[in-house]
Amino acid sequence: MSQSIEGLQKRFDEDFAAITDMDTWKSVRDKFLAREGGIITTGMKRLRELPKEERPVFGQAMNRLRSSVEKQLQERYAELKKAAITGGQRHLDVTRPGFPYALGSAHPIKRLQADIEQILVNMGFRLFDLPEVERDYYNFEALNMPPNHPARDEQDTFYFDDTMLLRTHCTSVDVHAMEGLRPPIRAASTGKVYRRDPFDATHSPMFYQVDVVVIDEGITMGDMKGMLEVFLKQVFHSDIKMRLRPGFFPFVEPGAEVDISCIFCNGAGCPTCKQSGWIEILGAGMCHPKVLRMSGIDDSRYTGFAWGMGIDRVPMLKYGVEDIRLLFDNDLRFLEQF
Amino acid sequence: MKISTEWLAEYVEIRESPQKLKDDLSMIGLLVEAIEEAEGTSILEVEVTSNRPDCLSHIGIARELAALYDRPLRFPETQETLRIESDRIPFEIEIRDPELCPRYTALVLDGIRVGESPDWMQRRLVAAGMRPLNNIVDITNYVLLEMGHPLHAFDYDILRQARIVVAKARNGEKMYTLDGVERELDADMLLINDGEGPVAIAGVMGGMESEISLSTTRVLLESAYFRPDSIRRTSKKLGLSTESSYRFERGADWNNTVPAAGRVCRLVEQLAGGRIAGNIQDVYPKKKEPVCIELKRENASSLIGVTMEREFIESTLSRLNFKLEENGTDSWSVTCPTYRADMELEADLIEELARFYGYQNIPTTLPPCRNVGRYSPVYKLENTIREILIGLGFNEAINLSFADESDSEEFSTGSDERVGVRNPLTEDMKYMRTVLAPGLVRSVKRNFNMDRRLVRLFEIGKVYRRGPDGTPKERNMLGIIGTGGFTEQNWKQPDASFDFFHMKGTLLTILRGLRIHSYEIEPTDAFRWLNPTDAAVLEIDRKQVGVMGSLSASLEEKYKLRQPAFLAEIEFESLAENAFAPMNFEPLPRYPSSERDISIVVSRDLAYRKIQTCVADIKIAELVKIALVDVYEGDKIPSGKVSLTLRLTFQDRGKTLTVDRVQDFVDTVLSSLYKTYGAELRSK
Ligand SMILES: [Zn+2]
Repeated sequence: MSQSIEGLQKRFDEDFAAITDMDTWKSVRDKFLAREGGIITTGMKRLRELPKEERPVFGQAMNRLRSSVEKQLQERYAELKKAAITGGQRHLDVTRPGFPYALGSAHPIKRLQADIEQILVNMGFRLFDLPEVERDYYNFEALNMPPNHPARDEQDTFYFDDTMLLRTHCTSVDVHAMEGLRPPIRAASTGKVYRRDPFDATHSPMFYQVDVVVIDEGITMGDMKGMLEVFLKQVFHSDIKMRLRPGFFPFVEPGAEVDISCIFCNGAGCPTCKQSGWIEILGAGMCHPKVLRMSGIDDSRYTGFAWGMGIDRVPMLKYGVEDIRLLFDNDLRFLEQF
Repeated sequence: MKISTEWLAEYVEIRESPQKLKDDLSMIGLLVEAIEEAEGTSILEVEVTSNRPDCLSHIGIARELAALYDRPLRFPETQETLRIESDRIPFEIEIRDPELCPRYTALVLDGIRVGESPDWMQRRLVAAGMRPLNNIVDITNYVLLEMGHPLHAFDYDILRQARIVVAKARNGEKMYTLDGVERELDADMLLINDGEGPVAIAGVMGGMESEISLSTTRVLLESAYFRPDSIRRTSKKLGLSTESSYRFERGADWNNTVPAAGRVCRLVEQLAGGRIAGNIQDVYPKKKEPVCIELKRENASSLIGVTMEREFIESTLSRLNFKLEENGTDSWSVTCPTYRADMELEADLIEELARFYGYQNIPTTLPPCRNVGRYSPVYKLENTIREILIGLGFNEAINLSFADESDSEEFSTGSDERVGVRNPLTEDMKYMRTVLAPGLVRSVKRNFNMDRRLVRLFEIGKVYRRGPDGTPKERNMLGIIGTGGFTEQNWKQPDASFDFFHMKGTLLTILRGLRIHSYEIEPTDAFRWLNPTDAAVLEIDRKQVGVMGSLSASLEEKYKLRQPAFLAEIEFESLAENAFAPMNFEPLPRYPSSERDISIVVSRDLAYRKIQTCVADIKIAELVKIALVDVYEGDKIPSGKVSLTLRLTFQDRGKTLTVDRVQDFVDTVLSSLYKTYGAELRSK
């Protein structure tokens, strides 16, 4: 029996030495290892014909032979393959460019808008996709800005007729949410807003905002500060500091202007923050009792707060984009950087 | 409002540096935007919000600082007695519209020598941003900047009658204002008349004729209170905003008319030699009461979120000149100073408490969350589409929502659905866009100008069309544009151009990502902006939800693209109804599948979809996939014919298919195609 294994080994060694290319490699492999009729495969099958006591020894020897044959063939395969790929060269020129699969980019405003929406949903807010073409009532009147209110001056408005306009802020979400939901309310909306400003480096007739409103029993200014801090740290950085100053928006009272510590100088003072260390980032405040009442919320039972932030300003700040028009030029040299 | 620190120091002691003043004022709501150093003073540029007209003066700012630092406020010298024994110059005041003019105070000064005002006054006016004119006008402006009350001086001798009549104008009435402009008035505007004609637009600007001149010796001084909304309407209508209208429309102090007149008299006496000659007349038909608000300590504490101590409430409000009267435990009846035009509700008082408590000192808390967050339906759709398109190499664009005249014509779909903006910013923003395509085409053009010839953009945004009721209706749309190569030019393969089937593939990939499995693509020629040769509509449930194709030759030429651009425009919300079908899991097949390629020759006019349908109609359950793997037209086959290579995949979930069985299927397919469309097997 052992002689026949030696004989097999010898026959393989002779054939193996004669392998010159893939074709001869394949014929040697098939001769010895083919599932049907391979010499070694057949030998393994014939184990059963041996007397029981001889089987283990012979079986082990055949297994050893088979794995050594497989290993030799595998190594030879690799050698042949390498020669075929490189045509005799040592290496492929891996420094040539890879295939230029195309990869696009999200607009920085839209990316941030989506991020902000995710942050707000995680904070328990329900998001609304609200109309840009809005009634005067939702944009102004229900927000405590009756006709001839001086605050309307700051929001020069595009009109379609006497009642329909392009919303000047997303704050209309306050009214829609109060009309459509019952407290506890956490509602938010993001999107385009319009003001009749000339299109120049610092103004655009169209920009993006996010507005939120929270209404429940016992909501305090402290709660507003807390939620703002969580929000701003997620939007910017967990190390930023926040500062509230009294401010005026007709739909809130008390009102607040919210600053964050300058993201460039960490508050030390630099040209971006005009040396103040702070950057004005959003407006906030406790919902005005008149606004609550107009939209059917019992202001003796519920309090709430609202805030609104410009979205475009954030990438402009973060990336130092100095001309707002770049955001709407769709220049690939700009878009590809995000 | 420009506040000069040197001037400010007249009314309150200032020990702080300008920088400290800036910080302190900002933290009580008076944002100092900049500090400008001038000779002998620093100018604080204070942003006064529209609810605080009382801070539009040096005394106004001094009052806030006096309260903040708890220091006394010093008032300027004033003429205490505005009446004389021998009232030499009689005049009359008649208020015909007491609603719009609740109070009108006036007096006459004579013996005036008009000339330049002294240097110190000129310097202060200039520091505050006003141009000195002559001592009388300068004095009224000075008192305006000092006390915040707008005043007007008429040349008494020009007035045709010794009368002041406050009444609404007549429609079409005209007058020249001080700036030399002829103004046409209407019946909503309040005028000051002299009994014969208009001499001033009340609260906005005086008339040119009665202007103070070098020859003026007698002056009628007006110190009045006009209703804010009336002044604002007039100022807006005339497009004329003045220091005076700015303050009146925000709310002046009706109790300031007499003190302001007294202050002017003192300064006129000192600087222009004038004396009272016509006694003050104070016409005040209906006394306006100060605002009185109930304040509960509990409400203040619970809104701010920290316990407000009694002592803090009382001392803060008293320092701000509110009068408190206790009317129960921890409850007050608070009378507001009449200069605080912003006081109306308890919340307004609570803001005062919060301001002086310091917003930064309010403890930060988080309310319990009793809501579950939820995205809007559009969110998931939009973000899925965005990620797919980014992966396919498209960059996201944002265009303005406006359109110009030619856009709406060139990209119209037939009926005029345009919505016009009543007050457009510019001529090319006259309309709201009805399609996304024009913005995308222009964006491509801009990139061509920067020598980028491979451009792939998409935009997710709204379009606006006139609804059946005539009002604008907005819809969420997805616009895609692709032009140039399919990839950047590279050494691995010859350059393939982005074409119709790349665009179609893009759309189908989106539909796959949205799990929309059932749709139709049909040829169309209904879109003028697309070439009719390769335009197609996307239909879901027999409803047209989108269109794709190449930009029409005429628009390609108009925008000088000089290479084909492929566009698609999809109505997003229609997708929403069908998107995100439930995911179904099917166990993996346990037996191998078999593939067979067949090349058939058919008429080139035969739509591929007919072949698909024909094969599908045989209903071979084991035929699980048909793919078109090659298309050939050329010399090797008869002209007018096309050779299609189909890859058929067969699979039996219960057993391994035998070679013979598969061959039977292939023969069935071939004979059916031959019978239906005369398809011949292509010989090798
Ligand atoms: Zn900085």
